[in-house]
Amino acid sequence: MSESDKEVGLEVRGLTIADGSRWVVQDLNLSIPRGAVHMVLGERDTGKTALLEAWAGRRKPERGTVTVSGRAVVVPQALVPTQLRLFERLLLHRQPRYLGVGIRWKRAREEARALAARFGLEALLLSAVESLRPLERRLLELAAAVGESPAALLLDEPTSDLGPHEARQFLATIRALAKEENIPVIFSGSWPRDAYPEAQGVTILWRGADPVTVSTEECSEAALVERWTGGIGIRRTPSGPHTPGESLLRVDGLVLQGRGRETSLAGLAFEVKAGEVLAIVGAPADGLNLLHDVLLGRRFPEQGSIQFLGKETTRAPRRHRVESGVGFVNPPHTRDQSIGEFSIEENLILGQTTGPPFARRGYLRHDSIRGNAVRTLRDFEIVEAEPQDRFRDLKLGDRQRVIVAREVIRNPVLLIVRSPAQGLSLAAQEYVRRTLILQCERGSGLLWLTEEPEEAMRVADRLAVLAAGRFVWLPVTETLTREMIVDEMSGAAA
Amino acid sequence: MIPGRCRGGPWILLANALLLVLLFALARLVPLLGAGGEAAGGAEGGVWSGDIILVATGLLFLGLGFLIPLHAGLLNVAIHGEFLAGFIVGSLLTRSAVPASAQAGLGLLAGALAGGVVGLIVAWLKRRFAIHEILSGLLLGGALIPVARAFGVAPTATPSLTIPLGSLADRIPWGPALKLHPNFVLAWGILLLSAGILLGFLAAHLLRASVRGFELRAVGSNPLAAVAAGVDVDGVQVLVMSFGGACAGLTGALQLWTNPAIALERWPFPIGFAGLTVALIGAGYFRGAMLAAVLLAVWLSLPAVHHALKDPAWNALIAFLLVTPMFWILPRLFPDQGAPRALWRTRHREPL
Repeated sequence: MSESDKEVGLEVRGLTIADGSRWVVQDLNLSIPRGAVHMVLGERDTGKTALLEAWAGRRKPERGTVTVSGRAVVVPQALVPTQLRLFERLLLHRQPRYLGVGIRWKRAREEARALAARFGLEALLLSAVESLRPLERRLLELAAAVGESPAALLLDEPTSDLGPHEARQFLATIRALAKEENIPVIFSGSWPRDAYPEAQGVTILWRGADPVTVSTEECSEAALVERWTGGIGIRRTPSGPHTPGESLLRVDGLVLQGRGRETSLAGLAFEVKAGEVLAIVGAPADGLNLLHDVLLGRRFPEQGSIQFLGKETTRAPRRHRVESGVGFVNPPHTRDQSIGEFSIEENLILGQTTGPPFARRGYLRHDSIRGNAVRTLRDFEIVEAEPQDRFRDLKLGDRQRVIVAREVIRNPVLLIVRSPAQGLSLAAQEYVRRTLILQCERGSGLLWLTEEPEEAMRVADRLAVLAAGRFVWLPVTETLTREMIVDEMSGAAA
Repeated sequence: MIPGRCRGGPWILLANALLLVLLFALARLVPLLGAGGEAAGGAEGGVWSGDIILVATGLLFLGLGFLIPLHAGLLNVAIHGEFLAGFIVGSLLTRSAVPASAQAGLGLLAGALAGGVVGLIVAWLKRRFAIHEILSGLLLGGALIPVARAFGVAPTATPSLTIPLGSLADRIPWGPALKLHPNFVLAWGILLLSAGILLGFLAAHLLRASVRGFELRAVGSNPLAAVAAGVDVDGVQVLVMSFGGACAGLTGALQLWTNPAIALERWPFPIGFAGLTVALIGAGYFRGAMLAAVLLAVWLSLPAVHHALKDPAWNALIAFLLVTPMFWILPRLFPDQGAPRALWRTRHREPL
């Protein structure tokens, strides 16, 4: 065996994988050296998980071979039961035993402590997994996987629920891990920037096209982003800054205790005016989730007030907020904004059945409902769909278009959106953002919560970074960069 | 798509129709194997005797008692407890000073109310303490069994809900051919069966066409989205559980005024669960449940089956045949969530 062969940690030859009725990859050839980090980049539903499973030997390929010098461990996107404590999670799959029967608790605890210490989690050994922050949970899963002494480590979308600064920290950790363990570490994701600076190679999965593998040494970050976005780049969507009108939403002194190790809200105050976009960027565990919950009416603040059109709505349920003119658009994968088993036309009238035009005297008006659906599908360019089609059968992008259409057609006074384009194809992302901004230009206020600095930069008239439960206001100018926002999110700017 | 119905509904209906054919074939087989013995000769009256109406009525209301909450995503396993509550309250009424002529009507009403209260308790426990309806339903059913034994009365020998039709049946030309039982239960039986069928059609219609039905389906399919759409999920769940309980309670009370021979006692496992069988064999469709109730009633009224159920071995076989399809149907009942999720799901709120 040559020296170069010894360095190969995972080798793929002529791999062909099918997922349902479509090909994920055909005749893929790839070598990932030991100690290297490799990224599989692709939009949602392009088969990233299927590819990782095939590489780990969990999915039988149609053709081809995958060679790993030992056992490959996959860390799935879904986490283990969260009621466990941290050290219990570390011992879940691998406990030292007496004669293979009784658990050697003392040794097991020592091993768990050592593993936790390696990933900076030692102080949290007795904490429940559910109380951890997303980054800590990801590190915990990583530690548990390392405990299994893998020959290759495959992580399925590990940064999907992390803020950019947290993702940066996590990726630096897996880079160090790959070097220390001398194993290949492969992770999947939909953000091209995650590949830099830690990954050596990127395999890009395209829907309906052959995958492409590029080296990050040969392809710069900007070039990869350009290639990925098809040249859309970062630009204001779709027009220039707006002129704000009257005040719609006023939030003062919002205080709310975080759950578990989540950051609490420490006296947030902001105002949203008609015809402007206020973007708030933050990591989910840094208060963004809490703020979203408060705005949705899922949780009520311990202190502070929320006034909508001058009326107190701090403790109003979501129904009252919607009835008073607030619309909500959540990330596409969330389950609380659509009903998969209902038809498209039924989803388009959710929350609008209290009276005309879709209901009269307690009965649904099927002709109005059908007409509304036909018009909406046409106006919002949702082709190849019929009003009576089941909602869950639509593509994710079309599903989100239906949701956005429903909210926009109601012509709300204020739209509160949370990462509305997350995980969508690039074309769908553009469409969703443009539609929402157009609604703002028609006079609605737009409060845009997001984890992604680039998205905020594209849409914001005013921009606030939510870090450590407080706002840092940044002026939206030509000189504002993604790095400046990420630094504020991580506290590095201070 | 209406939640509570099965994926591939028509195929499941076909499969269940085959199951019923199998059950009927079994009924023909029983006398041949000697288990039915003399019963095969029709010792207890003809196949088409009026008791079918009461059995069908009971099965239909029990089916509705399970099916209506099912469409709101609730598994009303408390149906046995609700049935017993109706039976107990009806029993207490027969011992009271209420005139005999009024006992039947008041008993049915009181039974429905009692069943509704049990359903209400289950829904309240779910709402207040997030106790899953399966757990509270089973516990309530178990707790009410000894109460029913202590306070219940034996069904009356002469059904007071019947109108003797001997002379009338002889006079109409097709009467003798139908072999109508002398105590053909016309007044209450047909009235209640008609009410049940009407209720089934009405429920199906309202579910499809009304705003409340739309909300109920939304609650059953995705409670989180229903909350976001402004639906009072707790209120809907309380309402459907109470209504389902009322249907089961009415069936329980109905047992008091039926001939013991024709009561649903012949069902091979705890009677309340007949509601599950009917609803699931009907594949979650109201029309399917109505058809299943009538066909199962006809099957139960076959003398050979009636007799075979007294034999533990045949009883076990029939129970097995009735229960087995449930394992196939249940996973298909909650298309949006999957039956396993429905089994452990206790809250419709986002986890905190």
